[in-house]
Amino acid sequence: MIDTGLTLETGRLILRVPQRADFEGWARLGRDAEAMRHLGGTKSAFEAWRHFLANVGSWRILGFGPFSVIRKADGQWIGRIGPLHPEGWPGDEIGWTLAREAWGCGYATEAATAAIDWAFASLGWTSIIHCIAPDNTASQAVAKRLGSTLQGVGRLPVPHDQDPIEIWGQTREEWFARRAARTV
Amino acid sequence: MPSAVPSPEPVLETERLILRLPQRGDFERYAEAKTDPDGTRYTSGVLSRPEAWRKFLEYPGAWMLQGFAMFSVVEKSSGLWIGIIGPWQPEGWQGTEVGWSLHRSAWGKGYAYEAAEAAIDWSFDVLGWQEVIHSINPDNVRSQALAQRLGSRKRGSCSLPPPRENVTVDIWGQTREEWLARRARQQSSDHQATRAP
Repeated sequence: MIDTGLTLETGRLILRVPQRADFEGWARLGRDAEAMRHLGGTKSAFEAWRHFLANVGSWRILGFGPFSVIRKADGQWIGRIGPLHPEGWPGDEIGWTLAREAWGCGYATEAATAAIDWAFASLGWTSIIHCIAPDNTASQAVAKRLGSTLQGVGRLPVPHDQDPIEIWGQTREEWFARRAARTV
Repeated sequence: MPSAVPSPEPVLETERLILRLPQRGDFERYAEAKTDPDGTRYTSGVLSRPEAWRKFLEYPGAWMLQGFAMFSVVEKSSGLWIGIIGPWQPEGWQGTEVGWSLHRSAWGKGYAYEAAEAAIDWSFDVLGWQEVIHSINPDNVRSQALAQRLGSRKRGSCSLPPPRENVTVDIWGQTREEWLARRARQQSSDHQATRAP
């Protein structure tokens, strides 16, 4: 059984298991064409709800899933970041999607770092990937800041099988070597 | 605020079936059901395994967020997962639904009726719903027959929420009072049957 009270804390952010109240922000993000540009386009409220359910269901069935990211300063839900591995996915992913008003502050890197630490410590993962569209330079920059490198062209399962995707990633050893170097 | 899943987790038992929350081990049979053209003709249509996985996760997700959702139905005699039945009300849905979808190996045995009765009882008793609806494809005569057998009537039709607004479903349903009256009649006839010579 998962611990639904699981919470990770960083300097500016709280990462926790999604709650019902997060859906308003989740649905607003799904309506934002710019934020959804690399994620299959905008989502109706119904689609957003079903996607929200599936992400929460991942926590119950697999014991992990994307965290809701809350900004400490104002308590706002600003996005979803964390581990996911749906059926047919090309690897153990750490993914991130932030609401547009939270872009450009380094939140994605800050939250992803906490999520990667947790995934390696708690899930026994030996490597991580990030599936990123070839023209999504903002996410590529986050991947680089996390120490991940481009591994090649990938393919996602249906219904995303026609989306052009590159796979970025790193191993557990690379992650911990980099973490150790930074704390010296 | 933790998970909305009730504690202890609900488990419903009927003569031949167990209804419990979905588990990871249910997915293989669920994926079989969702890749079956006959079994999905009047609902989602055939899904790939990755699509089935995302849909499967919606049920445990709804349990965590809403405290209710469709149950996994398990056949007592074999321990096999045979389907998914129970309360369902996604965002924008047209009412308080009790829906059903059975693996084709379990068709024709009265299992859907048996499980739906237990799920409707639970929905009225525990969730306090005032009515149940069943959204049924106009061509799905098997589900219409089941709705009738449960005492529901056709009330009209409506389109599904976007992006499936071009799909029209018939809405069958009944009120809490109708269900409780039906249950009282059944109990009274059961009582008479046991006293019959």
